[in-house]
This record gives sequence, structure tokens and C-alpha cells, in this order.
Amino acid sequence: MLLTTALLSAIALILFFLNRKENGKQIEGLKIGARQLLQTLPLILGAFILAGLIEVLIPVEFVKNWLSTEAGLKGILLGTFGGMLLAMGPYAAFPIITSVLASGAGLGTVVALITGWALLGLSKAPFESTFFGLKFFLYKSILSIPFCLAAGLAAHTLDLLLN
Amino acid sequence: MKKSLLVIAIASIILVLIAKLVGGSGLVLTGLEKAWNTAVQSFLMLVVSFVVIGQLHVLLTKEKLDKWLGKYSGLKGILISALAGGLFPGGPYIYYPFARTLADKGMPFYILIAFLFGKNSYDFSRVPMEVSLVDPRIALIRNLITLPIPIITGLLAQRIFENRSVNDVLDRQGD
Repeated sequence: MLLTTALLSAIALILFFLNRKENGKQIEGLKIGARQLLQTLPLILGAFILAGLIEVLIPVEFVKNWLSTEAGLKGILLGTFGGMLLAMGPYAAFPIITSVLASGAGLGTVVALITGWALLGLSKAPFESTFFGLKFFLYKSILSIPFCLAAGLAAHTLDLLLN
Repeated sequence: MKKSLLVIAIASIILVLIAKLVGGSGLVLTGLEKAWNTAVQSFLMLVVSFVVIGQLHVLLTKEKLDKWLGKYSGLKGILISALAGGLFPGGPYIYYPFARTLADKGMPFYILIAFLFGKNSYDFSRVPMEVSLVDPRIALIRNLITLPIPIITGLLAQRIFENRSVNDVLDRQGD
């Protein structure tokens, strides 16, 4: 998080001086940024609350036990939806995915799980629906499902070919 | 904006009630504590990211964006947007407001799709964690397999919605 903040700060500084040189509107940019932050802050805080509640409501142990020995087509399907339920950041999600892998899940299941988490993860839902609407969130999620299944299927096929 | 806030408030109340029924007040408090911790940890990042958004707002005029999109439209635009998504730092509370700013400047819908799928599929800052915490072989296979996803989704969106802007497709005017 510190690295990201440092990176964003560097970008902010570059853009500030670029605006100063190009159009002299750097102060106006700061005012616009502050205004947008104040306008969006209640939404972002609301989305944080939603994401926190979603995270505690989804039983991680259930997802882990559910997927631990799954392989093949059933595993790919369960992996996709299991990934969606892992409503958390990479630091929390990856160790869970590792434990699913260690308990014997197939390659297709694990790849579907990571792809499902990356594309469908419910922790993004509050932000996606806040900034682009509930309809957009639903359509994007529905569109993502076949891609997660295809990724799992491709990994499963690769696993069969390699072993 | 008011409508979104109302939806969030209603959804939060429903989830608080569910959490209360499932795990009592303790579970509700744990959820709220997680939200509070995330808010505190990401506050500085949020402030800085809105400085970036404000500076981009005055730097990228509609004419500039149109010129850029004219130069890098179609597959080239999709590839650049997907890559930009993968390189874009920060969590959803950073990249969604950023994408919204560009959407309000008239960005085509297919570019948004390529950007968001690029961020979700590639997220290059996540790769070292995937390699070290999961498994290098699985990380390689997963990244190679999902490599075409932002390009395919971008092309699909372009085919369906052509050059229509985000706000036109979603019927939102800055909300």
C-alpha cells in the first residue's frame, strides 16, 4: 500500500508540473480533485462498509472445504463461484487459494478460482455498482462467468496433457 | 449520486441485519471494524489519487482525449487500455473513480471494458504475490491463459456498442 501511495504521489507531482507548464491550471486541478473527493467520499465509505460486511458474511472455511478435493468440470464450476465469494484483497485471498491447492484441488479448479476471484470477486461489487450502476455490475459479472469457466477448462486440459 | 448513496445505504442495512441474524452484534462489529481499518489504511492513498484525478481532469480536455482515441482506436486502443489497466496502481476505490472521470469525458464503452478487464486480469502489482503466495507454475499458467480476456471482451464490446460512449451505453450523465 505504501509503494502504491508513493507511486501515485510521484504521478500526482508529475501531472501537477505538467499542468503548470502546459496550461497553468494546476491549482484548478487541485480544487477539482478536492471537490470530487468530497462528493465521492460518502459513496466510498459506504462501499467500504458493504465490502467489510460481505467479507465477514462469507464463510471462508466453507469455501475452502467446498473446493479442497474438487477437480474436473465440477471443480471448475465451483472454483468460479468460490472465487466470486472470496471478497478480499490478494494478501488474504492467495493464502486461501494455496490451502485449496494443498488440499488436493485440480489445476483447473485453482485457475478457475483465481480467475473467478480476479474477475468476479464480490469485494469490487460495491465500487463497480456505485460508479457505473448496478446494471453494469450485473452485466459485467455475467459476461465474466464464461471466461472464468474457459480459463479453468483450458488449465484442466493442459493438466491432462502434461500428466 | 444520491441514488447510488441510497442503494448503498439500503444494501448496508440489509447486510447489517443479515450479519446480526447470522452471527449477532459481534459479526456486525467485525465487519464494520474491517471497513474502518480499510478506510484508515487507504485514506492517504485516496487523497493522493484524487489529486491525480483532478490534475488529469484539467490536463485531458475532451479534444485531447478525442484526438488520442482517434489515433489509438480499435484493437490498438483496446491493447493500450488493457495494458494501462494492468499497470494502474491501487484498489477498486482508486481505479473506479478514475475510470468514471474518463467516462464523463466521453470515453467509448469498449475502452472502459478493456481497461477494467485489464486491471482485473493482469494487475501487474499482484503478480509477485501470486508467484510467491500461490505457486510460480500456477501463476504462469493462469496469467498466460487469461491474457486474451481483456482483448476479447474489449473487441466484443466494440462489436456490440461500436464507438458509443460509456454514458450513452449506460444512460448516465455524470450521475
